[in-house]
Amino acid sequence: MSNRWRWQYWPLKAKLVFLTLSISTLGILLVCTSLIVVENRTYEEQLESELMVLSGILAEQSAAALLFEDSQQLATIISSLRKIETIEQVCVYNTAGDVMAELNSATSATCPNLATPPEVGFVGDYYRLLEPVTLDGDTVGQLYLMSRLEVLREHIRTFILMAFTIGLTIQVALVWVAFRLQRLVSEPISELSSAAEQIAVNHDYSIRVPVYGKDELGRLGNAFNEMIGTIEHQNRKILASRDELERTVADRTSELSLANRELEAFSFSVSHDLRQPLRAIEGFGQALEEDCRGQLNDTGLDYLSRIRAATVRMGGLIDGLLVLSRVSRQAMEIQKHDLSAILEEIVEELHATSDDRPTEVTIQPGIEVVGDGRMLRIAFQNLLANAWKYSSKADIRKIDVSACESHGSITVAIRDNGVGFDMKYVDKLFVAFNRLHTPAEFSGTGLGLATVDRVVRRHFGEVYAESSVDNGACFYVKFPASVQK
Amino acid sequence: MFLKFLIALVLWSAIGSSNASVRSEYEVKAAFLYNFTRFITWSEPVADAEDLKICVFGRDPFGDVLQQLDGRMSQGKALTLAYPQTLIDAENCQVLFVGSAKSRDLPSITRYAEERRMLTISEIPEFVDEGGIIGYVKEGNVIRFEINLQAAQRAGLQINSRLLELALRVIR
Repeated sequence: MSNRWRWQYWPLKAKLVFLTLSISTLGILLVCTSLIVVENRTYEEQLESELMVLSGILAEQSAAALLFEDSQQLATIISSLRKIETIEQVCVYNTAGDVMAELNSATSATCPNLATPPEVGFVGDYYRLLEPVTLDGDTVGQLYLMSRLEVLREHIRTFILMAFTIGLTIQVALVWVAFRLQRLVSEPISELSSAAEQIAVNHDYSIRVPVYGKDELGRLGNAFNEMIGTIEHQNRKILASRDELERTVADRTSELSLANRELEAFSFSVSHDLRQPLRAIEGFGQALEEDCRGQLNDTGLDYLSRIRAATVRMGGLIDGLLVLSRVSRQAMEIQKHDLSAILEEIVEELHATSDDRPTEVTIQPGIEVVGDGRMLRIAFQNLLANAWKYSSKADIRKIDVSACESHGSITVAIRDNGVGFDMKYVDKLFVAFNRLHTPAEFSGTGLGLATVDRVVRRHFGEVYAESSVDNGACFYVKFPASVQK
Repeated sequence: MFLKFLIALVLWSAIGSSNASVRSEYEVKAAFLYNFTRFITWSEPVADAEDLKICVFGRDPFGDVLQQLDGRMSQGKALTLAYPQTLIDAENCQVLFVGSAKSRDLPSITRYAEERRMLTISEIPEFVDEGGIIGYVKEGNVIRFEINLQAAQRAGLQINSRLLELALRVIR
């Protein structure tokens, strides 16, 4: 069934007209039916009373003839009824119940036997009447009269036809009136509804509906207009404050980026500028050691070597700072990279530059990550170097890299069998210059994981770690789905 | 011969008892007599009498049948029966049935009855032509009656028109 024909999809107009017409049809039907019933009853009563009068007169006339058993006279009396066409049968009985005289139409049967009294009143198509003939209070005989009801039936048929014709005419008039009147109710509502829809679709809050009258519809229209007015006003205020907010944000952003740039330039230049005096210290330290070796005693030589070691460490620190500042401000070139291949290269470099401790590295092949190639390389170089470094005390160094994808995001896990760390210091792990081990145990600048954190953050990802002391550590790098498309 | 008569008598009585509606001539005439009283209105002073006195003058042809009328009500009055031997004795009668034996004295009887405002009824042939008011006649097996309206008016009696309609002959 089409939705069009279901009640809930009917337009308000149709519903109003339908309701009005249903009620009026019901009313007209009820009125017509009750009129017909009343008319039928009235007509029957009239007919009954006419026949009663007729039979009364007949009874009065035939009393004497009955007493004197004069059938001829009785026949004369009742033959006067022949003129009334609807009379079907008239019978006159004496006290013994014998038929004294009868008048039959062509179709009717003989007079009924009074031993079984005939049904009287309106039965079927006939009205039957059995009346005693009395004289001075004595019953001297019975009068039986049977009348056809065709006139009554014809009259009622005509009446029904008339009633329904008039009812139909009234109904047609009511259809017209209902169509005119429903506009009073449905038009303001449909205007209101279309205005509301227009506002919902176009977000045009300047629309107003016309207000008719002071009734509920008028009040609804007024309330609607006021509501839209309030919304329009508030909308304007919201838009104005949004614009202001955007301006403020833009101002702040530009201030912030200026400050950021200044800070980065500062740290870059500081790092860069620090290098020169450091090179001088290192250069002259080396020169001092080479050229004046003989003039220094062992204590002097020890101090000198400490100075040189410190300069090397400081150089590392400055390099680390430079890398950190570079990954912070460098523009990113986002594209897809084979992370497994990058990791293999890094492992080869680590093999080449470190001790010959037996090492087992497993890297899950085919890990693909979207991001800036150089930054990813820096981050994973740091992570693998850490794993390499902190597992250097194990008998066999074991490093395992695996990745798992879920809902578009990729999490890369780097697991080692190194010394691990205490989880209560996990918050300090990714903060610059914070170290969980002394330089004597493991060398380092304290900038590596801070750099990793910065790189991953610039890829909108997150990095976190799990570990326990002497049980190895596992670092997780999670790249979000939004970047990995 | 006697046996046949006996059988016929038995059969006849059997039929008579089985069919009660077959009535004898005098039963019908007695019923008519009673019915006549219901359609006649007497004038003053006879109308004031408490009873309606039916007198049978001369030989009574009804036998026991007429006794059934004794005490019956007609127009609110009880019927009483009387058998006067002379006209003088019939002074207070409202209805006077004249027996066939009195046919020779008819003029004097009717004149006397008219003066006393009586309804005269008789089965004497041409009774109404002789001045009587209602006379029985037999038409084949059916009992009918004739009315002398002039005589009735002279006696101050009003006869219901329904009764007149039924009369075989009305002398106006």
